[in-house]
Amino acid sequence: MNNLKILLQLTKRSAFVVVLLFFLSLALPMPSSQNVIAGDVLAEEVKEGGGVELPQFEAGQSPVSPQSPEGQPAEGAEAGVAGGEEEEMAPVQYRAFFGMDSRTVVWIVSELHLMFAAFVLGVPIFAVIVEIVGFKGGDIKYDKMAKEFTKLLSAAFATTASLGGLLGFCLFGLYPEFMGHMTNVFAPTMYVYALMFFGEAFTLYAYYYSWEILKGTAARKWFHITLGVLLNLFGTGLMFLTNSWATYMMSPAGIVPATGKVLSLYHAFYNPLWMPVNIHRLIANVCFGGFVVGAYAAVKFLGAKTEEEKAHYDWMGYVGNFIGVGALIPLPFAGYWLGREVYSASPVMGNIMMGGAFSWTFIIQAILIGMLFIGANYYLWLGMGRIRGSERYTKFIKYLVFVIFMCFAVWLTPHNLPLSGEERAMIGEQYHPFSKYFGVMAAKNAVVNLIILSTFFSFLIYRRSNKGEMVPFSEQGRAGKIGIFSVLIFCLLMLVSYAISLNFVELEANIKVFVKPLIRALYIQSFAVCLAVFLTFKNRGKLAQAMLFGVTACIAVLYFWYYGFEVMQKANLVLRYLSVTQVSIVMSCLIMNAVIDIFMFRKAKLVGGIAWGKMPVRSQYALILLCVVIVILMGLMGFIRSGLRMDWHIYGVLQDTSQWAYTPTLAFMGRIVGLIVALFLGLVTFVFWLANLGEKKEKGVLKEGCELAEPHPEH
Amino acid sequence: MNKSMLKITAFGIAVIGFYIYITIYVAGLSGTGGGETAGGVSPEAGENIFWGDGQCGTCHKIGSIGSATRGPDQEGLAMRAEERAKELGLPSGLDYLVESIVEPDKYIVKGYDKIMPKVYDPPIMLSREKILAVLAYLQTLGGEADINAIMKYKDKIPEASKKKVKPWVPPVVVDAKEGEKVFFDETRPVTCGKCHVVNGRGKKVGPELTGIGAIQTPEYFVESILKPSAKIVKGYETMYVITSDGIPYNGLIKSETEEELVLLKEESGEIEEVVIPKSDIAEMKKQEVSIMPGNIGELLSVRDFYGIVSYLQSLK
Repeated sequence: MNNLKILLQLTKRSAFVVVLLFFLSLALPMPSSQNVIAGDVLAEEVKEGGGVELPQFEAGQSPVSPQSPEGQPAEGAEAGVAGGEEEEMAPVQYRAFFGMDSRTVVWIVSELHLMFAAFVLGVPIFAVIVEIVGFKGGDIKYDKMAKEFTKLLSAAFATTASLGGLLGFCLFGLYPEFMGHMTNVFAPTMYVYALMFFGEAFTLYAYYYSWEILKGTAARKWFHITLGVLLNLFGTGLMFLTNSWATYMMSPAGIVPATGKVLSLYHAFYNPLWMPVNIHRLIANVCFGGFVVGAYAAVKFLGAKTEEEKAHYDWMGYVGNFIGVGALIPLPFAGYWLGREVYSASPVMGNIMMGGAFSWTFIIQAILIGMLFIGANYYLWLGMGRIRGSERYTKFIKYLVFVIFMCFAVWLTPHNLPLSGEERAMIGEQYHPFSKYFGVMAAKNAVVNLIILSTFFSFLIYRRSNKGEMVPFSEQGRAGKIGIFSVLIFCLLMLVSYAISLNFVELEANIKVFVKPLIRALYIQSFAVCLAVFLTFKNRGKLAQAMLFGVTACIAVLYFWYYGFEVMQKANLVLRYLSVTQVSIVMSCLIMNAVIDIFMFRKAKLVGGIAWGKMPVRSQYALILLCVVIVILMGLMGFIRSGLRMDWHIYGVLQDTSQWAYTPTLAFMGRIVGLIVALFLGLVTFVFWLANLGEKKEKGVLKEGCELAEPHPEH
Repeated sequence: MNKSMLKITAFGIAVIGFYIYITIYVAGLSGTGGGETAGGVSPEAGENIFWGDGQCGTCHKIGSIGSATRGPDQEGLAMRAEERAKELGLPSGLDYLVESIVEPDKYIVKGYDKIMPKVYDPPIMLSREKILAVLAYLQTLGGEADINAIMKYKDKIPEASKKKVKPWVPPVVVDAKEGEKVFFDETRPVTCGKCHVVNGRGKKVGPELTGIGAIQTPEYFVESILKPSAKIVKGYETMYVITSDGIPYNGLIKSETEEELVLLKEESGEIEEVVIPKSDIAEMKKQEVSIMPGNIGELLSVRDFYGIVSYLQSLK
């Protein structure tokens, strides 16, 4: 209801503004020659009399603002100009958006723009991958799906650009001083941005409109795929560029903070948080694109009239979910890296994030990510129902449900739950003596890794549901052996190089002893990975996978859960190395087990086919849930990333002195993010509907033509 | 719109609604209030400022909301303010509230110390409007907000300086991260983390220091480390207890029931618990000396000392 109120309020005010503008346009006289002359005379007077000099500012110098803290011009600033006296233009710091809260307006517009941008960047990655898979595998349905999404993309692209324009106007109009600073630092990159935008637009339209033309030969198809790759390069380049502006606001570098003078554009651009945000957003965009595609397929599935349509959209939903989950798995690792770099860039900001005003937002984030993992697993389990032969594996589902829900519960446990006086008196201490151990980072890291391992296990049993007797690995030729051996080298490089680097970390001797178990754990995992390869080569691939799962779970989940507490109490500095060790161990397990599975079941006999389209309706709602939740998650994380600057436009450099320079409550944030999500999903639905209008028309004409043709069977 | 599309829309709205409900629930749970962010002078805006920018929640709780004990519990404040105004000869409870904010050291509630900062000064720097909004909120704690009456006090409240705050610079080059290391380093003869909690880390013997940088100045930290007895936070006074057998104890009260008293006492740098049956207590009185060791300045190097001060200052 509150969202509705906000929306109604916005609508009312907008309507008022439109009406006001209309009447003003009627009331104001048309520009006349008299006015032009008067203006010229005034200008001449100014020139002749030496007049008023407009304030001049050197590059990088902040103009002194004669404004009150609330952003309104101070009384003295409005020097009287009555009687034809010249007015000195005071530099404006802030403007209001027709009496509304400027920050909320910018928040809504920028988040909508970001969501569309994520779609426009994520879907081409998805489309090109699918196109390549279809081309290499010779399956036309992949190609059709890739094209279908590129069609949606071109419609969404225009919306993204419009929202980007609106955001630019809002920022320059409402926050002129801040944007003056940003332009001063980043002006050269802004031209590059515009050029790259042309590049993206041209390659997008070339990619879409040349689809049919570039069919036929392999060379043509590869040229078309190259266009798609170029489109992604331009898109990713654009994102990296804008990320540098956003991350500069969080961790400014390359300037003199007191004056804003630019010392190094390179350092301002490549600021400490730039690369972590780039990587996190890149993976998140793929995840976002996958889940949006999944939801699109679900909507189409639910409205499908024929079995053929259902089968097509069921398959599409599966592919979307597969890509979404595939990108979701490494996302917590990228997020952890980003969080760690926030701490490194500014311990104060890090404390605000995890221990201060924003720590509670991570409880909400945990709920959302939990919903994503549970939803994705649920969809996979339901999907097993349409695969003959999956009965052999359904017994595992109940254990997976138990594990995932228990992990979810631990992840949700807040550490700093404030207790009332009575509760504290009953318990005898500040925190709950039992639950507090589930709220600390060590526990959360452990369960996140267990959820990831469980989801991966779900995917493996789904994958092998209809696979029967396998061809022994030793009889599979060289490709498998080379593939697995390459992955082994990669995993060993990752694990051993990190273990070696840990020997050289600079810590006091009494703290450094806590690093030794991490090094041992990395070597044990390296040995386990080698053993898994050895067993696979000896045709014991399933045993190899089970062994690797077991060793990984024992080290990364059980041992590090316990050891994490130890480290937190005695050598907190080691916690960052522990987390990276944990991630490396889990990643090595995921990569090696996935590759073993691919080659082990490559030539396996099929127990039964997949009955595409035979999915319960609730499975499609799971896909829609995943889409809505990932959009909400994006809104929430956007709030956190931006809000961490507290009352600074540019952290530590340019303070926000407007009346909106306070951190909104969680409840208010929830309502605004809810409103943004509803607006985004509504707009996306509308854009998809528009994109499909032409198709409907085409089908209608075709059908009409067919009906007309029916009485003439000879044609 | 067909039936399936309607169902999908309803489902999407339900998921968004669930999310909004969760944020409101968590907002209530975290003590940051469930209301909307309101601007201007209103109790709603004041409540948000109380738990947010104003940092009031770092020292005050309101009944069961929040857990801070540095300052008085503000539950029923408006009623108490009226009583206090009568005792002090002030025209109204609002005068008492305004003066308590403008000059925090003027009226000190019995049992508490002069630790409240001037909220219009750095580092909090609340604007005049925000302070008026907080006053409106405080009026609702046991009374009703009267915005017209509050606005009459507008000129009595100093306007916050919005000039850039000149940062405190320690006399030697130090790093707050190094200070954090020293704060929690248990290998040293003195470890702050053994008695103070910061962001859930450390032990809660002395006052929690989470967010302390937002409400206290570096000068306060310097004084508190070098002269811990100069200002003792309410609830952390050392108690002197003599049992009927004549055994004396000095320590902090951890808990107290009708039957027994649990005292935390320092023994060779370690904190120990002593349980004393109430029937065995012959005499008990508050001490003017803090349980915090008074020789910390001698146990730290200059760099470590200022590192700790920098670290505490960064806890905002």
